[in-house]
Amino acid sequence: MKLSCIIHTRNSDETLDKALDSVAWADEIIVVDMESTDSTRAIAAKYTQRILSTPIVPRVDGIRQQFLAEARHDWIFVLDSDEYLAADAQANVTTLLEQYGTRYDAFAIPRFNSIAGQIMRGSGWYPAPQIRLFRKGTVRWPDANHQLPEVITGRLLELEPPACLHIHHRNYEDLRHFIRKQLDYALNDRYEPDPATFDFSSYIARAYQNLATHQDTKHDGDLSHALATVMAWDAVMRGLIHWDSLSPKPPLAMLTGLPVAAGNVPLWRIRFKKWLGSRRSTRFVLHSVMYRMGWLSRGVRKTLSR
Amino acid sequence: MVDTVSALGLTIVIPTKDLAGMLQYCLEHLQRALKVASQFEPCVVVVDNATEIPLLEKDLPSSSSPVHLIRFDIPASFAEANNTAIRRYPNAYYLLLNNNVLLAESALADMQRLLEESPNAGLCGTRLISPDGTIQHAGIVFGPGDIGPYHVSRGQPSALVSRLNGEFQAVTGACLLIRQSAWDDLGGLSGEFAFGLDDIDFCLRARQKGWRVCCSCRTDSLHCESMTRGSDKPDKRARRVFMNTWRGRYAIDGQG
Repeated sequence: MKLSCIIHTRNSDETLDKALDSVAWADEIIVVDMESTDSTRAIAAKYTQRILSTPIVPRVDGIRQQFLAEARHDWIFVLDSDEYLAADAQANVTTLLEQYGTRYDAFAIPRFNSIAGQIMRGSGWYPAPQIRLFRKGTVRWPDANHQLPEVITGRLLELEPPACLHIHHRNYEDLRHFIRKQLDYALNDRYEPDPATFDFSSYIARAYQNLATHQDTKHDGDLSHALATVMAWDAVMRGLIHWDSLSPKPPLAMLTGLPVAAGNVPLWRIRFKKWLGSRRSTRFVLHSVMYRMGWLSRGVRKTLSR
Repeated sequence: MVDTVSALGLTIVIPTKDLAGMLQYCLEHLQRALKVASQFEPCVVVVDNATEIPLLEKDLPSSSSPVHLIRFDIPASFAEANNTAIRRYPNAYYLLLNNNVLLAESALADMQRLLEESPNAGLCGTRLISPDGTIQHAGIVFGPGDIGPYHVSRGQPSALVSRLNGEFQAVTGACLLIRQSAWDDLGGLSGEFAFGLDDIDFCLRARQKGWRVCCSCRTDSLHCESMTRGSDKPDKRARRVFMNTWRGRYAIDGQG
């Protein structure tokens, strides 16, 4: 079974060498470059001849989707330029495809995130499975920023840590870098344009939820407090950015929204979310069942059988 | 990647799993030993063998030379870990080092001298003691019948055991200096011995190719052996695989 690896870059010369070196075993490497002005392309040229160009866009997932068609092989691994794989990745991927390649179309791979020089272990950060290894044509990314794609067939296998293939991600050098990126994503995201559906208190509710679910000092120490606070702040900022993009502007009703929103997040839901933290596959199992029962998009089935 | 192989380049391979604290001291002692053995141009490679929380380069102490890190997501065998590291960082000499070995200051220099003195010596081990001061390793000998390989003088107080450098059929891979030509001759450690004793297999194969195996006994380095495996009993499967391959093909130089 042959594999194409697609790496998306934009001014990535610091991390790209390590990323490409870790997938040099792939049968094909495609680098999709977003108008880099540093030595990214020169580094990429050491590993592959297939360097494609794309204009700068605010949301990367749409680009991911667009360039999947470029892969020449059956299986695709999508890697970011600030990620890399371990030394035994080739053997592990080969084994995965040999063992499960006929029964599954996509694999959710746990990811180690390193933030401010610390590898995150706490809720929400690990295993945080990423759907990056899949059969061509079975996965669809929404036009967003760093969302999980949809596995059209629902045949997704989530790998079980600890002893399995991982993605290693060097996310953020420090907290400032994290804040800057979060804000960047929030500013560039797409928001529902219909003012009637806008409800600021739902953003506040999500802020509370983020605060509660992302705190995990047992695993991540004080850093988890800091990150949870940023995530809560991020939810509030997204609410304001959304509001700002609407016309006519609905009432913000912030003052009444605050206490109401707090009540909107019952304790059981937070506990459930925390419990679910490492068991995200529940969602995919549900997806798969729905697909098999025929409740899920018949159009998609037709596309597949064609 | 190391592009040029210098005459005294030394790649030190340390496979490690879950003993981050121990590893720090192992590296510190290694740096000290490298200072004494200053003729070497060292290249330290830590193989993170599926440690639960991956190691980061910045957390590894390095005084002179940078420490390279190779990560395995799924625990690899001793052979695979070492072979991968050495394939990536070829050099004139290789040192296989366990993460639970604290080198004596002049251990490395002594081992190198032994190899230098006899050009047909390809491998050199070193004397190791347990935390209680008794011998853990001072060469490996082979008993008759089912006894097979065992550590000579093991458990005796170090002070009672001769400090004469010796020649053996095998030495331990916990700390093993290897000449590149010998390593290349043998094609690295054999992956067949997934449960252990691959170091002894390596030594015996080396002798078949005409390389001598010696053990430097002037210094005592500390080996906290049971820390890694959780027990210091040899693995039964390892022994079975080993005996199936080697029974009757080594000289009996141990006790009955």
